[in-house]
Amino acid sequence: MPEQTPEKKQSLWKRITASREASLLLVLIVLCALIEIRSPEFLTFSNIGEILKNNAVIMIMSLGMLCVLLTGGIDISITSTLALSGMTVGMLFKYKVIQSTGLGFLIAIAIGAACGALIGVIVSRGGVMPIIATMGFMYIYRGLAYLIANSQWAGADALGSFTDFALSSSLGFGVINNVIMITILCYVVFFILLKWTKFGRSIYAIGSNREAAEISGTHVARVEFLVYLIMGLLAGLCGALSVTVYSSAQPNMVLGKEMDVIAACVIGGVSMSGGRGSVGGALLGSLILAVIAKALPLVGIDSIAQNTVKGIIILAVVILNVVTKRMMDRSNLERRKI
Amino acid sequence: MEEKSERIVSTGKKHGAKSFFSSWEFALAIIFIAVSAFCRAISPNYTPGNVLREMPKYLGEMFLLFPMAFILLMGDIDISVGSIVCLSATVSCFACNAGLPIPVVVLIGLLVGLLCGMLNGFILTTFVELPAMIVTLGTQIVYRGIAEIVLGSGGSISLKDTSGFNALAGKVGPFPYLFFLVILFAVAFAVVSAKTPFGRSLYAIGSNHNAAFYSGVKVQRVRFIVFSVTGAMAGLCAVFLTSTLFGANTTTGNGFEMDAIAMAVFGGISTAGGKGRLAGGIISAFIIICLRIGLGQINMNPQIILIILGILLITAVLVPNVSSKINARNTKNKVLTRK
Amino acid sequence: MKRFLSVLLSVGLAATIMGGCNGNTTPTNASGTASTSGDATSSETASGDEASSAAAAEGASAKGKTFAIVTKAAGNPYNEKEADGFKQAIEQEGGTCIVKHPEAATADAQVSVIQSLISQKVDSICIAANDENALQASLQEAMQAGIKVSCLDSKTNKDSRQVFVNQAGTKEIGQALMDAVLDISGGSGDWAILSATSQAANQNAWIEAMKTVMKDAKYSKLNLVEVAYGDDEPQKSTDQTQALLSKYPNLKVICAPTTVGISAAAKVLQDKKSKVKLTGLGLPSEMAAYIGTDADHSCPYMFLWNPVELGQLGAYTSIALVNGTITGKAGDTFEAGKMANSPYKVVDAADGGTEIILGAPFKFDPSNIGEWKSVY
Repeated sequence: MPEQTPEKKQSLWKRITASREASLLLVLIVLCALIEIRSPEFLTFSNIGEILKNNAVIMIMSLGMLCVLLTGGIDISITSTLALSGMTVGMLFKYKVIQSTGLGFLIAIAIGAACGALIGVIVSRGGVMPIIATMGFMYIYRGLAYLIANSQWAGADALGSFTDFALSSSLGFGVINNVIMITILCYVVFFILLKWTKFGRSIYAIGSNREAAEISGTHVARVEFLVYLIMGLLAGLCGALSVTVYSSAQPNMVLGKEMDVIAACVIGGVSMSGGRGSVGGALLGSLILAVIAKALPLVGIDSIAQNTVKGIIILAVVILNVVTKRMMDRSNLERRKI
Repeated sequence: MEEKSERIVSTGKKHGAKSFFSSWEFALAIIFIAVSAFCRAISPNYTPGNVLREMPKYLGEMFLLFPMAFILLMGDIDISVGSIVCLSATVSCFACNAGLPIPVVVLIGLLVGLLCGMLNGFILTTFVELPAMIVTLGTQIVYRGIAEIVLGSGGSISLKDTSGFNALAGKVGPFPYLFFLVILFAVAFAVVSAKTPFGRSLYAIGSNHNAAFYSGVKVQRVRFIVFSVTGAMAGLCAVFLTSTLFGANTTTGNGFEMDAIAMAVFGGISTAGGKGRLAGGIISAFIIICLRIGLGQINMNPQIILIILGILLITAVLVPNVSSKINARNTKNKVLTRK
Repeated sequence: MKRFLSVLLSVGLAATIMGGCNGNTTPTNASGTASTSGDATSSETASGDEASSAAAAEGASAKGKTFAIVTKAAGNPYNEKEADGFKQAIEQEGGTCIVKHPEAATADAQVSVIQSLISQKVDSICIAANDENALQASLQEAMQAGIKVSCLDSKTNKDSRQVFVNQAGTKEIGQALMDAVLDISGGSGDWAILSATSQAANQNAWIEAMKTVMKDAKYSKLNLVEVAYGDDEPQKSTDQTQALLSKYPNLKVICAPTTVGISAAAKVLQDKKSKVKLTGLGLPSEMAAYIGTDADHSCPYMFLWNPVELGQLGAYTSIALVNGTITGKAGDTFEAGKMANSPYKVVDAADGGTEIILGAPFKFDPSNIGEWKSVY
């Protein structure tokens, strides 16, 4: 008769540290608590709202980047797509070609989707490595943004009613700010998409083992194409959001911030070789980055040292990730029945 | 039997004129001649003297291309080189302002670069599971951040005594010293990659690092060496950059890593590793440099120049891929219909 | 065989670079002769001859000469209007104008532009510098090649230029801004500065001037808490403004001597209906919605000058330098077409070099913002 070893009940602590998302949540709670002690106005509704609004762009784009990273790719052209769509919409408002906010958003999303689709075709059909394709398009789209701007900006005056979108709560049942509402909607949609649809599962499949996915019948090229299209679409949306939040459309918008989005995903536990990561992780990663950025000046770290601290935190998080995984692997090996 | 990877295994090195003329490097050489002719035609100021005078700024970046090609051959990537240049330039400027003689300043610049590269290598070889992209992303932010802290609130530093660095920027006839140095390193790196066991190990690691490891290649040691050399070369680049700018600030070296990767990839070096030759990278670097100089001389909008470079980069990678796919499909058809 | 082919190819490549040495417009041939580059030096001295023969010409006419303006960055309306004014004036006088925007707002990018202009053998370069000292090597090379170098808007150090076209005296700008802070804050309290990049020569000069003015007893009750850098980016400027508001609860005034910074800060303050007020240097077209003296508007008044006029003055200065009417030393005077304060006089500048001043800073308040917002 085979021996029945009693199942060891894992302690709560072990279960939390085993789950990446749970440990991130713990880190976030601890951080917020520390800051709250230091400066009591941190956890007010308006302050939290401000943090969410300012980081909405990064938070939404990390969703798209999550999908791209899950398939084992990468996209560094997102900020250029954002600038291109934001600039186009800004110019359209400036020259009174369009007046309605809704149309502005639609156009921005369409431009973003088109940009993403082009990248998707080149990567999935052309067999070009994502880093190279998106690097090339980063230059192309940014250049186009400058050309469309033609050395002009769209300021608050020119944008007219478009800027009111970021201040009103019409979509959020009158309570939650519009921008935050859109962020929440995106997260809900993507959570459902990645967890409960076939498309979502196929993204994970491609990232885990591309050949196996292909042989199992997943249409790899089509999924890859769609993933980049979605990324572009979100970047377009964020372009319009950026313009309305900052009341300004400039061709050098969010220059260089694509690494922040990648960093947010990586902190959130998304693996760069694909197949591992979750919406919760992306959310927590971007929140942690946002809170750290806000917290550093309050803790007294000079603004000049903020970048260094951010970099060290990123390195520490990924190294810690590897170390804990090694420890977990080792303890798993030890527990194995021989 | 269907190959698992897309790569078609060759049965041995091809010799002869046919392989030479159909190689990517030859195509690049033709493109270079075409670009030079084009620039000559559109700009009457595109003379050797002018080109050599405008080159030093771009030549410095070529120092980054050589080690970056090695890194790409291994299948890794390093996006922190721009920040290493920034930190190295900053520290050299401080050293120079502190009154140290120029050879010591140059040495300090190289040392700082080397240390940064060694840190990159150390983290990567100790935590092997980490992809190079993420580690160098983190170190990119950290190195530039350290430079920002060192520079303080002004954000920039200027050399008080420029005589030392002026000597570095000297010329022999119309050829700056930098030009000779670049040629020297180009030849050195090309020889190492093509003719030495170390160079072969790079290709081995890039193709299949497990197989390389089991064949006796000390994979982690090779990686560590390459990343350290990258750092040192970045220090060298910083020293020559300072000799043109006479100072450093927080934006020094911005975008250098992308330029280096673009030049390498355009030259036929694949980011997946194991494919490409340094000679291709060198020729493509000159293509990009000459194109930028030429288009700049007709005062083309710099954004349009960027767009052109982007299109060139994508086409350069797309065309061989598409043509090899078509080739593969044709040979598959041929094989299938033979029976 | 392969080796022989490679050697032949390398020779061909080298020949391609060397080809066309004689300055002919015929395109190069791959199998062309590998001529020496000794002719290169002769083409550079030729430009020197050109400039000296130009000095013999009389009057404000710029016929046959090429003038270049290099701005701080691409895609910026303020810089664009400067360049427009410059171009207008040059073309009116019959010259050829080249407008160059650097690829990025860094000194590095401007060095490439200057080198390119030297190759194009322009007669004069008028540049708004991104860094005070970093351009010295290339600008000195330009001056040695016979090109007249002047700065506008943002100056280089005195060894890199012949004269600086200043929009308003640095001391006057500092005084005007400091007085505005004193007035808006009610005489005492905390105030902060939101600047552009930390290397920007013009902003740094104005901040220094403000600090010097502040030493006077009148301003002793004002406390400058921080100089924040928004890097001329709207998001970063917005973030810095919010950081200032949360770090310093007793903040009364923010002074932003940069058009991007002031409009970003104005939006933040106005949206939050903050009690903190704003002043600085801003474009009327961008700030129109925020100028007002009531509680709903964040900026009671601000200053600027006309960037188009600044560009025009830069043009006339360049023409005067090329024609030899002025050499850049103090005391020289020259005509500036139909400009209001013509003739202009070259005066000594605080850094040891010389400068030409356009006029006094202009105040924008609710009474005149309506008419100016459509002008620039």
